Formats: sequence, structure tokens, C-alpha cells
Amino acid sequence: MNTGKKPEVLNINKLSKYYLSYGSLFNFKRNIIKAVDNVSFKVYKGDIFSIVGETGCGKSTLSKLILGLTNRTSGEIFYKGNILNYNLKKLNLRKKIQIVFQDPYSSLNPKKKIYKIVSLPAIKNKIIKKKDALQYSMQMLKNVGLDEDYVFKFPHELSGGQRQRISIARSLSVNPELLVLDEPVSALDVSVSAQILNLLLDLHEKNNLTYVFITHDLRLVRHMADTVCVMYGGKIMEISPVDKFFDGPLHPYSKVLLESILAYGPKNILQFADAGNININNININAGTGKNRRGCVYYNLCSRRMDKCINNEPDLKENGDVQVNCFFP
Amino acid sequence: MSLIIDNLTVKLYTNFKKKEFFNVADSVSFSIQNGEIISVVGESGSGKSFLGLSLMRLNPPYISEISSGSILISDTDGFEKIDIVKLKENQLSDVRGRLISMIFQDPNVSLNPVIKIGDQIIEAILAHKKMKKKDASDVAIHYLELMRIDGKARFNSYPHELSGGMRQRVMIAMAMVLEPVVLVADEPTTALDVKTSLQVLALIEKMRFEKNVSVLFITHDLSIARNISDKTIVFYAGQIMEYGTTEDIINSPLHPYSISLTKSVPALSKDYAPRERLFVIPGSLSQSDFKSEKCRFYNRCFKRSKDCLNEIPLLKLSSERFARCVNIQ
Repeated sequence: MNTGKKPEVLNINKLSKYYLSYGSLFNFKRNIIKAVDNVSFKVYKGDIFSIVGETGCGKSTLSKLILGLTNRTSGEIFYKGNILNYNLKKLNLRKKIQIVFQDPYSSLNPKKKIYKIVSLPAIKNKIIKKKDALQYSMQMLKNVGLDEDYVFKFPHELSGGQRQRISIARSLSVNPELLVLDEPVSALDVSVSAQILNLLLDLHEKNNLTYVFITHDLRLVRHMADTVCVMYGGKIMEISPVDKFFDGPLHPYSKVLLESILAYGPKNILQFADAGNININNININAGTGKNRRGCVYYNLCSRRMDKCINNEPDLKENGDVQVNCFFP
Repeated sequence: MSLIIDNLTVKLYTNFKKKEFFNVADSVSFSIQNGEIISVVGESGSGKSFLGLSLMRLNPPYISEISSGSILISDTDGFEKIDIVKLKENQLSDVRGRLISMIFQDPNVSLNPVIKIGDQIIEAILAHKKMKKKDASDVAIHYLELMRIDGKARFNSYPHELSGGMRQRVMIAMAMVLEPVVLVADEPTTALDVKTSLQVLALIEKMRFEKNVSVLFITHDLSIARNISDKTIVFYAGQIMEYGTTEDIINSPLHPYSISLTKSVPALSKDYAPRERLFVIPGSLSQSDFKSEKCRFYNRCFKRSKDCLNEIPLLKLSSERFARCVNIQ
């Protein structure tokens, strides 16, 4: 991949988001939960950039930050060289960055007809006038491979796959440049998810979109993505091109992730039974309640840990086109 | 043989007054041996969950009934043989939990939120055995520890204090606490993360080895079925489409539906080039398929011919291989 030649779309620089948590109402000690901690990466135009990680690693918070749905604690996000600020009307970023949510059952307004759902973002952004809404949404539905008759239906009349198509059509109605896909197929059935993936790939080619693809399914990553970004405990563990990642990841956590896929090969499942023993005692590490946490986030579960990792925090180091957050890659 | 299902047919009424119905399970017969895991794979809506519920007679009353067939369950010693279909309503609670028990899909919903998990487990023991409450709690703690949960510390916690994976493990502990002969697992890992779902699978596998329980594992993920089960049933529109050892079904599927299912998963093996469009089964499963006189997969099949217009019996290909298709060489 000659990523160097492509213009960069998204440049995230030392971004952090901390949440405060209170033990109880009368407990004034506050815990800081570092949901996203000192994260930096770049997304280039036309790429599919995938973020992988287990539940609670901060990948959804990161997508919220990109969309401006929560405020950042520190750090900067640049979109094509400009600081990401949704309040500036001049940039009109809502038109350029859109999201497809995970659950198609809860992300559509059940009281509105499909054409209203699909056309509302376009009307608000003054792409079309209100009287053209019907015509426009018919055209949008055609783009995502749905019948035109669906414009008069309500969301409850549609199946899961059709709803996910509707939410994709809604996101595309403002002609965005960057699409954040927050686990778009994990709520869907096998054959339906194949349809949606095909649709996403078609749209990516046709409209020259850039995707930030958030998932926990590495099978999809291998199939779709250009770059893999592995997150754990709010930090980036490894960023590498897809081919190199699947040939042999450098970070110990990426190796664990890769081993845990139940691919089409016989595998002794029983070896994973003990995974829990560690998990129970260190359940907080996932969420990143960081009191004594000076060292590496992954220290307690790591297979390659050394004394150095307890007190020193590794940084994301460049190693060719692979970036690894480990002292001993 | 711990469970023998013979010709099980379950009616589901669409209109009870007019006696309109279709068969959600249509003359299903198979058997599970001691310590064997059989997985049932199929799309959502194919009736596989209903099959699991019917085995415990948990299918919703008034709108559905078991019209024919038998579910013969026998003790590990072969001492006790019971036909679940013939039992009366008040006799059922004796069998449920003691001989056959179930793990449900969503651990967030299936635990009572206002009762401590320890008490929920004890309830099952005390309902079946005359035991002191303290002894029962020792048993419960033992099973929680088998599930890699710190039994003594977690005994008095409420479900909301546990993570999703832990809740599902509590569910397994609850199902296993009376050492049943058969365990029905209805998509136990769909609501879970990659790593936690692996652990849950590993613990089910462990129960199989240690307690010699037979498992009917309902799933839609072929890669899970590939790793956990000895035999696989491919289920579509209430009928067994193909039945055989898991290795045969995954590596050399014969029925067009099994072929389509295996193709539509982006596997880690290099079947698909990156970004190649996935195979999609055309159309969708509808209610009318359950009533159709033809082969039930006829409308979506890529191998269909004139012979498919009649009802097709389950053909025996070898001693362990059955398929419901006439176009198999």
C-alpha cells in the first residue's frame, strides 16, 4: 500500500477521553476511567481503517469522539487539516462525517416513515428542498438495493437486514466522505450480513468513501480492511497493514486476538477455559481504573512481561509501516 | 443413548380459532449419545430455537403444541426412561433441571435481577433434593468455582454486579448444578465478546468431559459448530436438511443450503480474495416456506430442478450421513 501518496483524511493526535466515576454517592474519592488514552493515528483517503478490540476497550468511545458526540478531555482531531469542530458552520462537518450504528432495531425512529428518516439529514443540511424528499429518498433506497415501495413503510415492517440498509441510506443521504461503521453486521444473521458487507464494499468503490470500520470480528477485517488498529484498555496496541498483521502480529495481545478466532480449522477449545482465571481478578483492567497503573496496560495478561513493564509505559513506536506499543515486539 | 427424538412434530397456530397452523418442527428425528455435542445450525427464523424449547416442553402454550412424536430421555445408567411428550404439566418440573436443562441466549434477561445469584442457584437444588440450605450453598459454590468464578465472593452478588460473560457462566452453573443428562444451549455466546464467548464454549466442553453431559448446541455460527460439536444438524424451515459428522458437513457439504451457508462466511482460510464479493443466498426465509409442498429450500436453491416439486424425504447416504435433496450425486 502506498499510503504515503494518499491525502490524509483524519489525523488524530494524542486524543484522550477520561470519565470520572464515583464509588457511591457519599464517596468523594473519584476514580478516573481512561476510556481513550493518548491515542494517535492517521486515516488516509479511500482506506478502510479497522479498529479491533474486545468489549470495553474504548473503540465505541473513539467513534463518538470522531463524530463529536462527546467532548474530548485532551488532544486534537484534524479533519483534512482543520481542527474537527462541529459548531463551525463554515466547515459543515456533519455533511462530511456520518455513522452507521450497530443495532438497526434501535437506531431508527419507529414513529416515522422511511422516506422521512432517509431524507431528514439531507433537508437539514440544505442539500434538497422539503418537497423533493420523496423523490430523493427513493433514489437513496435504490442505491442501497432496496425497492422503491419501501419509502411508505415504517421501520417495524422491515427485517433486520433491510433496516440496516435504511440506516446506511440515511448516512449516505448527505454524500459523506468519511463513514464510521460501528459494528454494522454484528446484530445480523449470516447470509444477511454477507449482503450488507457486499453492499458496503460496492458503495466504497462507487462513491470513493473512507471507512472507519469498528468490529470485533477479525474475519471481517481480513476480508475488508487495509489497516488494522488493535486497541486494549483505551490504548492502541498495534497499527499495521492487513497482510502483515495476519502473517504474524508483533504485539502479544494481537497474537491472543488472532488465536482466539474460531476459524475453519480444528482447534482445542479447552485451552481457553483458564482464560477466566486471570480475567476475574483483573476485571478492572479492561475498563482501565488506573490508580497504581504506571506501566503497560496489558501487563497482567501478557505472556512476554518483564520487570521493565511494571513501571514504564511503552509508547507507540514505528517499525517500518507497523506501529507497536510494546518494549519487546 | 441419552436422548432419542423420534418423528417430533410441533404445530404453531397462526390462527387458533380457524385452526390455521404450520409445523415449526416437521418430523424431526435424531439421537444424542452420552457426552456428545450435537449442534443445530441455520438462519434465524428457521425454527431451531423452537426445537430447543420443545425438547423441554417450554414451547408457548395455546399457540403451539407437540402434535406427534416422542422425546425419550434416559438416565446415564439407563435405569430411568421417560417420554417427555407424554408427561403431564405437573410432572414436568420434576424432569426439568434434573434430567434436561437449558442455557438461554441472553444472560442479561434470563437471570432474576432482584435475587442474589447464589440464591437463584440454590433454588434449583432445593426444589429437587431434600438438603439443608447450607449444604446446598456448598454445592452451588462448588459449581461456581467449576465455572471459574470466585464462588464465595460472588455468591451474594446480584446479576447487575457481574459482567456478561460471568452471567452466562452463572447460567451454565445453574443449569449444571443437578447434573442433568442433556443440556440444551440456545445460542449461549451470541450476546458475548470474542474472548468471553471462547471461554464459555470451553466451559461447556469441559462439562461434557467431566460430567459426561450431552449437549444440543443451537447456533448460527458455523465456525463455533465446527469447533465444539461432534455432529451437526443443518436446520431449515422446520426440517433437518442435512445431518452428519461436523467434519463432513463443514468440509464437504452436500445439500445446497449447507453449501450456501458455508460459502457466505468470510473465513480466515483463503477462499476469498480480499474484497471479493461474498456469496449471498437469494431471497429470505418466509412463513410460507414452512407450509410449502415442494422442497422448502426450492425458492432460494441454485440446484433446483423439476424433481424438487414433490416433498422430499430425508435420504440416508451412509450410516452417519443424511440429506434432504434429490440432486446429490
